[in-house]
Amino acid sequence: MVSPPIPVRVENLGKIYQVRQRKGLFKSEKRSVEALKGVSLEVQPGEVFGLLGPNGAGKTTLIKILTTLLLPSSGQAWVNGFQVERQDNQVRATVGCMLMGERGLYWKLTGRENLEYFGALYHYSPKDRKRRAEEIISLLKLGEIADRTVETYSSGQKMSLAFGKALINDAPLLVLDEPTNTLDVPSASELRAIVRDLNTQGKTVIYTTHIMIEAETLCDRVAIIDHGHLLALGTVAELKASLNREAVVHVEGAISSRAEESVSALPWVQRATRTSQDGGALLTVVASGGGVNLPQLIDALTQTGALIQKITPEEPTLEDVFIAKTGRTLAVDTRA
Amino acid sequence: MRLLNISRYPGQLVMDVVTPIVFASMPILLGRASGGANAEEVFAANTGTPNYVAYMLIGTSVFTIVSFAFWHMAYWLRWEQETGTLEVLYLAPTNRIWVAAGTALYSCLRSLLAATAVYLFGSLILQVTPFQGQVGLAFLFILVGLIPLYGMTLLYGAVILKVKEANALVNLMQWGVTFLMGVFFPVAIFPPLLKFLALLFPPTWMTNGVRSALLGIGYFFGEWYLDLAVLWAFLLVAPLFGYWVFSKTETSIRRNEGVGQY
Repeated sequence: MVSPPIPVRVENLGKIYQVRQRKGLFKSEKRSVEALKGVSLEVQPGEVFGLLGPNGAGKTTLIKILTTLLLPSSGQAWVNGFQVERQDNQVRATVGCMLMGERGLYWKLTGRENLEYFGALYHYSPKDRKRRAEEIISLLKLGEIADRTVETYSSGQKMSLAFGKALINDAPLLVLDEPTNTLDVPSASELRAIVRDLNTQGKTVIYTTHIMIEAETLCDRVAIIDHGHLLALGTVAELKASLNREAVVHVEGAISSRAEESVSALPWVQRATRTSQDGGALLTVVASGGGVNLPQLIDALTQTGALIQKITPEEPTLEDVFIAKTGRTLAVDTRA
Repeated sequence: MRLLNISRYPGQLVMDVVTPIVFASMPILLGRASGGANAEEVFAANTGTPNYVAYMLIGTSVFTIVSFAFWHMAYWLRWEQETGTLEVLYLAPTNRIWVAAGTALYSCLRSLLAATAVYLFGSLILQVTPFQGQVGLAFLFILVGLIPLYGMTLLYGAVILKVKEANALVNLMQWGVTFLMGVFFPVAIFPPLLKFLALLFPPTWMTNGVRSALLGIGYFFGEWYLDLAVLWAFLLVAPLFGYWVFSKTETSIRRNEGVGQY
C-alpha cells in the first residue's frame, strides 16, 4: 500500500518583501522586510495543524507560499508532494483554501452561482459543479439563502459561503485562515464541528486562529510563529508541558486542618494551603516535579474525614504558552 | 458567469450605448454649426468622404470597442484585486490566460453589441444610412483587429497589476487612444512621427479599415487585403507579447507582495 504524501513539508523557508517607505510628499525609500526566517516544519496526514501568531508574525505569508500565491525568497516547500514553485497547478488542485474571510466572493452573484463558478475553475463539468454546490449548501445549511445575491448576506453568512468555497474541490488539504472571524458563537461552534468531521473523514487541516480556545480544542498540533521565526511546535499538551510549571490542584469541600496536614505530608506535595470559603474550605495543593498524584490525594483527604465537593486542576493554557514563547499576548500587533 | 454578473448592473448597459452617441454628436453638431455650406466638400477633401456623420459614428463605434477592451480588462483586474476575488482566481488550478480569455470574450461580445447599437441608434438619431459599402469586410476588419487589441490589453493589465491604479491609467490611455486611432479625423493629417506612432497601434488600422470598407475613404496600402495583412501581423505578435509581459509581471509580483495586495 502506498502511503499518502506528506501534506506539507517546509524546509528553511524565507521570505523578504521589498516595501516602499514614504518620506513626505515626493520622497520614498525602499526597505526590506523579512517576513519568514528559515521556517521548517511538516504537517502530517490527517491532522489539524494550528498556526498561531500575532498579526505580522509571518503566518499568512507562510500560508500564501503554501497556496502558491507568493513565491519564497529562499528555502523550499512541498504540498501534497508537489513543489510549490514548480508544480503550482498541482498544488492548487489539491488544496482547498479560505484565506480572506468574506472577501473573495462575487457579491452580485448568488451563493449557488458563486459555488458553481468556483467549481468551474476547478474543472468540474456543469453537472458535477451543480451537484457539488448542492452538497456544500446542504452541509453548511445555506439552503435558505443560496439563491440570494451575496450582497444581501450577513457577515457570518458570507463567511460560511467563503468556507463552502474552500470545500468546492473536495481537496485532501484544507487551509483555513481564521475561518470563524465574524461568526457568532453558535455558528463558529458549528463550523468547528464541520472541520472536525471533515478531519475525521481524512482531510488534513491547517488552521490559523487568534482564539486560543479554538486552537486548544481543535488542533492536534500547534506551531507558534513570531517575527518570522517558528518558536514552538508540538501538541497542545507538549507545549503546555514545555512550560515546566508546578502542577496545582484546587479542592473544595469540608476540609479540616488535619486533612491539610495529611496532604502536606505526602512526598510529592510541595505545599498545601487551606482557606475558608462560603461555609466550606478550599485546599490549594502545589505539587513538585512529577505532578499531582490524584488517587493519593483523594485517599489522604477521605481518610481524614474530608468531604470533597469539587477538584479543579489548574492547568497552563495555550495563552500562557504563547506569552512564554513570544513575551506578549496574541492581541499585540507586530507588523513591521 | 460574467454576463450574468453584468446583467445585474442595468444602468451600466444603458451607459454603454448612450455615452458614445453623445461623444460623437458633439463634433458632428459642431461641424454642422461651424462648417458652412461647403462643409462636406472640405471634409471630403481631407478624408475621402463627404459623409462626416457616418465617418465620426464609425470612429466612435470602433472607439467603443477599443475603450471597452481597455476598461474591461484593466478594470476587471483591478476590481477583482480590490474585492479579493483575484487571489481566489490565483488559488484555482486554472491558467489565468483562460480566465483572461473568458473576460476578453465577454468583453468582445459586450463591446460588439454596444458598438453595433451605437452605430444603429446614432445613424437613426443623426439621420445617416447605416449600411453602405462592404459591411462584411468592415466586420472582418473588426474581428481581425480584436485579437491584437486584447493582446495589448494584457500588456496594459500587467501595468495595472504593478501600479494598482486602473481609473486614472485607463482614462489617460483612453484619450491617447482617441487621439492616435483618429476617432474624429484621419491620421493622415498627423505630423510624420505621430503618424508613425499611430500606425503602430492596431485600432488605427481597424478604424481605417472599417471606414474604407463602408465609406470608401481609401486603405493605407491601397488595397483592403494589404491593410488586413498588417492587422494579421499584429494578431500574431501582440497577444504573444502581451502574454509574455503579463506572465513576467505576475511572477515578479508573486516574488514580492503577491497579486492580492491592493
